[in-house]
Amino acid sequence: MFERTIRSRAFWPLCGILILLFFLPLFAPRFYVYIFALIYVTSLAAMSLNMVVGFGGLFQFHHGVFYGVGAYATALLLAKTSAPALVAFVAGPITAALTGLIIGWFCVRLTRLYFAMLQISLGSLIWAIVFRWYSFTGGDDGIHGIRMPSFLSSPQSAYYFILVVLTVSLVLMYTILKSPFGNTLQAIRDNPQRCEAVGINVRRHQLLAIVIATFFAGIAGVLFVVLERSVFADLLFWVLSLEIFIMCLLGGWFTFLGPVLGTAIIVSLRTFVGKFTEYWTLILGILLILVIFFLPEGVMGYLQRLGGPRPKGSAVRKEEIDASGGVGL
Amino acid sequence: MTLGVAEVASQFLVGISRSMILFVVCAGLSFILGVLRVPNIAHGSLYMIGAFATFSITKFFPGTTGFWVALVVAPLFVALISLIAERVLFCHLYQREHLMLLLFTFAVSLILGDLVKIVWGAEYRSVSAPPLLKGSVSILGASFPRYNLFLILMGPIVGVALWLFTTKTKIGKISRAAAVDREMVGVLGINVSWVFAFAFVIGCFLAGVGGALVAPTVSITLGMDHTLIIEAFLIVTIGGLGNMWGALVGSLIFGVTHSLGVLFWPQFAIVFPYMAVVIVLLVRPKGLLKSVW
Amino acid sequence: MKRSSCLIASAVSVLLLSFLLWPIGVVAQGPIKVGIIDTYSGPPTTYTYDVRDAFKLAIDEVNAKGGVLGRKIEFTTRDDKFKVDICLSMAKELIMNEKVDILMGTINSAGSLAVSEYVKGEKVPFIVTFSKSEKITGEKGHRYVFSITENTAMIGKAAAAGLAKRPFVRYWIAGDDYEYGHALADGVWGNLKKLNPKVELVGQSWWKVGEPELTPYLTAISAARPDAVIFATGGASMVNAMKAAKATGFAEKIPMFIHTATEHSTLAPLGLDAPEKVIGTSNYHFYYPDTPKNKAFAKAFKEAYGRDPKVGALYGYLAAQFIVKSIEKAGKMDREKFIDAMEGMKVDSPIGEIEMRAYDHQAMLPMFMGVTKKVPGYPFLIASDIVTIPAKEVMPSIEEIKKARGK
Repeated sequence: MFERTIRSRAFWPLCGILILLFFLPLFAPRFYVYIFALIYVTSLAAMSLNMVVGFGGLFQFHHGVFYGVGAYATALLLAKTSAPALVAFVAGPITAALTGLIIGWFCVRLTRLYFAMLQISLGSLIWAIVFRWYSFTGGDDGIHGIRMPSFLSSPQSAYYFILVVLTVSLVLMYTILKSPFGNTLQAIRDNPQRCEAVGINVRRHQLLAIVIATFFAGIAGVLFVVLERSVFADLLFWVLSLEIFIMCLLGGWFTFLGPVLGTAIIVSLRTFVGKFTEYWTLILGILLILVIFFLPEGVMGYLQRLGGPRPKGSAVRKEEIDASGGVGL
Repeated sequence: MTLGVAEVASQFLVGISRSMILFVVCAGLSFILGVLRVPNIAHGSLYMIGAFATFSITKFFPGTTGFWVALVVAPLFVALISLIAERVLFCHLYQREHLMLLLFTFAVSLILGDLVKIVWGAEYRSVSAPPLLKGSVSILGASFPRYNLFLILMGPIVGVALWLFTTKTKIGKISRAAAVDREMVGVLGINVSWVFAFAFVIGCFLAGVGGALVAPTVSITLGMDHTLIIEAFLIVTIGGLGNMWGALVGSLIFGVTHSLGVLFWPQFAIVFPYMAVVIVLLVRPKGLLKSVW
Repeated sequence: MKRSSCLIASAVSVLLLSFLLWPIGVVAQGPIKVGIIDTYSGPPTTYTYDVRDAFKLAIDEVNAKGGVLGRKIEFTTRDDKFKVDICLSMAKELIMNEKVDILMGTINSAGSLAVSEYVKGEKVPFIVTFSKSEKITGEKGHRYVFSITENTAMIGKAAAAGLAKRPFVRYWIAGDDYEYGHALADGVWGNLKKLNPKVELVGQSWWKVGEPELTPYLTAISAARPDAVIFATGGASMVNAMKAAKATGFAEKIPMFIHTATEHSTLAPLGLDAPEKVIGTSNYHFYYPDTPKNKAFAKAFKEAYGRDPKVGALYGYLAAQFIVKSIEKAGKMDREKFIDAMEGMKVDSPIGEIEMRAYDHQAMLPMFMGVTKKVPGYPFLIASDIVTIPAKEVMPSIEEIKKARGK
């Protein structure tokens, strides 16, 4: 299964970059170690979203809920109980996936914008509960100063932990997407009616995809707690979900690593452009418009295109399907 | 607490008046969604610009006329902005992926949001109701602001105007046709691109009207766009995509459940709109009224 | 290797290298650096601009006289957009990348708490400028965090002191449904009940933060006919509440108490359309006390920025004073010495001498309680019949702080 991957154009350069990143803390200043770690955490959330958006074609507009639930599950266990860290770390993705299962079960009955709005409503209910339940969740004050096991106490060790978990997660996600399940998912994205006709249980596939994606979102949430030692209600608010969604779109949601690039661009922009002007969202808006006009497949899609034939499932093919009278929004 | 008929009636009317503002904005959003099939995230920003423009115009024309002038000029200003955005940028994107169009409207909302801050600054602004509509009247003993009565009138006026427009005028009928089957409309020799431009501008005009109408009732601040846009999307979805009457029904559900909820269960009124959406979508997965496509 | 993979690899390498070559903040001698992390987008901006602008005014004055100990003071700001994750991220950037000596900020209480936790480990002094959570210097207070603004405990005590003197018995509490609103309400009610055990709570209403349409809530409250209503609102809701109260005539019939109803941030946008007779409390009025120092401060601010100073300006000014005087007392910009110097420091301000209490690092601010009134000569309402509640009556006792911190 991996032969084609290893022989593909991008594999060895990517390995090279990974090795470079492993050595980063040795030569980079403290702040860059932190920012890269932040990019890893957020890009894992974005990658997990892309599993259902880019590869599943679902309008997952409130993915942040699962990211936040994962983070809160871990944070609550670490802050309120004396549970061992490993238990707390595992609880994060499991809780997130359970939430994904429940919310997903309701949402897959709907399509497109209705799916999105139902998810936003259900997610907002969870947000409202966390926001109001001050005694348990810290409400809108959040929980800060969360304890970490000693092997994660230094910023460097946190960085390595996050990088390792990210790499393993990406490999797992890649495997899943290249598997028969992943192929079916993409087929469902491209033409759900045809899949139904062939006997595929579309809803069950989509639900399974959501559960897997939210599991990884939960992992991202755990990594967030490891990095920042804080959780707050903002993590469950729809604005963050929209931000992650934009990271996927910007990077290119038909490519595998597109969301990582999108995340890196937005986090860097926010951090470094913010130093010079308080109007950095204006600049982000202009950048997005430039990308839309000149790089229609996202930044990663463009980079891939430079090297050879169109990648599978490109934006152009989607247009062809739509023009043939597809389902629309 | 004595909950007499007067209080409930008054509260009900308050809910309706709030719904009318939502209806005006959502009718525009729904119209754009119907014809262009694009969820216009920038709708909230245009609403906010409508409100800020109303503030500036009332400052320029103080006295009794200011508000009435603003009610006409502010939406025109918003419509102009949307026309420029559409002709210069948006129209080139109609062939693209829906998600890309969504991304575009999001980018526009970011830009407009910061432009508002640059032009109007960060201070809270306030607009007073015109003298004709100041003060309150007594409804069955409970006091009810005159301005809210005005809103209850305006909603149906806008609704009827929009209905007449889409059913009686040629361009309105073409827009409706384009919503259902854009290819057919193109085949008939009509320039679909101009139809889209027109529909987009009308929808944004309505957002401006909403902004102008809301201006005397709230403090005009940055961030108004965010609070509105999520409500607008929820309403439009439960009403049925592209369906103006759906937008009306959705807005009424939102406004009335909220205000009555406040009266009976004030602790939980915050979640009522979301609960309403969840219930509606579970019972009627395609929205309450027929969606246009 | 194919062309594209080379391109990707080199692009990423260039990106990584450029990060490393990015100019990093200069350490060593040179100016003293202060970093401000605050919200400069959305509704809170109207408050935070005043903090930053007054700080700049004060610092410019100091720098014009040669700075502190021969060094100029520089400051740089970051916008957290009222999001806690960005707040924490930017605070880390200011400390790790920009290498600021002192950190200041933010109006977001959750952000302040998160940053406070972070500076504990980094050992960087953090001065909170506008967050009202009492936990900042109370339960979660520590050596590296200071507050030069009021908090909900202080507001509660001050409001109760003023309300207890009035004849109201049946109260309704209404407010923004978030931590600040609830803490404010709890603070006021708890203290009021202690001072006047006869008061009773008839009901409560809570709306989402920034709720634009408050008329339904007001009609519901007037149905209950309480003697008075305590509003626990923040920011934009305050203006909305005042507008709705005026439009429905509520303010005429039922006495209202809103913290900061009398403050200029709330009254300025409403112009002459604000309701009268609303009772409010505030840390600062640019027209009271009518001392030469306050007049000069207000005049300088107005000349520099074209608007009258609001309460944020006082906080910005205080922050500058405390920083400058503490560095002077410490003899050099050493963070530990700076903290020691700031404990117990007294500075002069437009509202009189203000002391930084050593035990909990909370500035001892008095509260001014007044009633909104139309007065000729101003295009907006002002506070009248102002009563000063001295800081000593307003501060939580050291025993209370000790208890909160679990000592």
